[in-house]
Amino acid sequence: MTSKIINMAEKIKDADDRLLESIFETSPIPDAGFSVAVVRRVRRRLWLRRLAVPVAALIGGGIAVKPLAGFVSIVASLSPMIPPQFIETATSMIPQLPTVVLGGMVLAVCLIGIRSLED
Amino acid sequence: MSGSDDHRLVARVVSSQDTTAFGELVRRHQSQVRNFLRKLAGDVSAADDLSQDCFLHAWDKMHTYSGRGSFIGWLLKIAYTTFLQSRRKSKRYAEIIEEVGHKMQTDSQTCTLPADEVTDLDKLLAVLDDEERAIMIMSYACGLSHREIGDATSMPVGTVKSIIFRGKQKIRTSFDIKDHKHG
Repeated sequence: MTSKIINMAEKIKDADDRLLESIFETSPIPDAGFSVAVVRRVRRRLWLRRLAVPVAALIGGGIAVKPLAGFVSIVASLSPMIPPQFIETATSMIPQLPTVVLGGMVLAVCLIGIRSLED
Repeated sequence: MSGSDDHRLVARVVSSQDTTAFGELVRRHQSQVRNFLRKLAGDVSAADDLSQDCFLHAWDKMHTYSGRGSFIGWLLKIAYTTFLQSRRKSKRYAEIIEEVGHKMQTDSQTCTLPADEVTDLDKLLAVLDDEERAIMIMSYACGLSHREIGDATSMPVGTVKSIIFRGKQKIRTSFDIKDHKHG
């Protein structure tokens, strides 16, 4: 009820209001390709976002290859320090570990691929 | 054009990033947004650039539209924010130019229209500050209710009313607004 009264009070316009409305009144602006230009910019941004993740992954991978290779070689050089009994125990307890790791990586790649296709 | 149609199009944009539905929303509301920014900025090409930016921001923030108020009110809120951000940027740019010793170009200079193109509306808007101008345009040119203007400017309805009152007073004291050219 109160809001209705407020709305009614708003609609009661004095001469100044009507004059101001007539001064502010303008004819509609024709679209003239404006909406097409906006949609084109939106689509371009969508494509850029879709490309951003794979491109970033490629660049990141490229940058990370060399230090990663160094890290792997360091780890490999440290492997003789690990007691053989420990490795045997670990492989006997989790025999499918390499398969699990590989499966996890494939799953992650699939999820990222599906996500980017959805986008 | 109805509000429910707008809501349906917004739902399509949010749920499936439908650019066709978004294009339809742009077609429906571009005139009001461009008119608002043209009057606010006083420069046609700058206002049209701002309008494009406004619609791009709207695309990004579409999921935040709750559907409570009118869609045009929500759009004008984004348009006003876009205008204020660009105004802040250009002020900062002018300050940097001044700091490095170049001649500063103020906003008012860039926004000035040729003398023969200055309408009574431009003169009338010139006596108002940015905030008053935005609110007067929303009220008298875009036909938004005081509540919608409050939502768009994040101000209480009472403040909106007092700003409109103050704007009218300024215009009344500055002009005899009986004979005028349409803006």
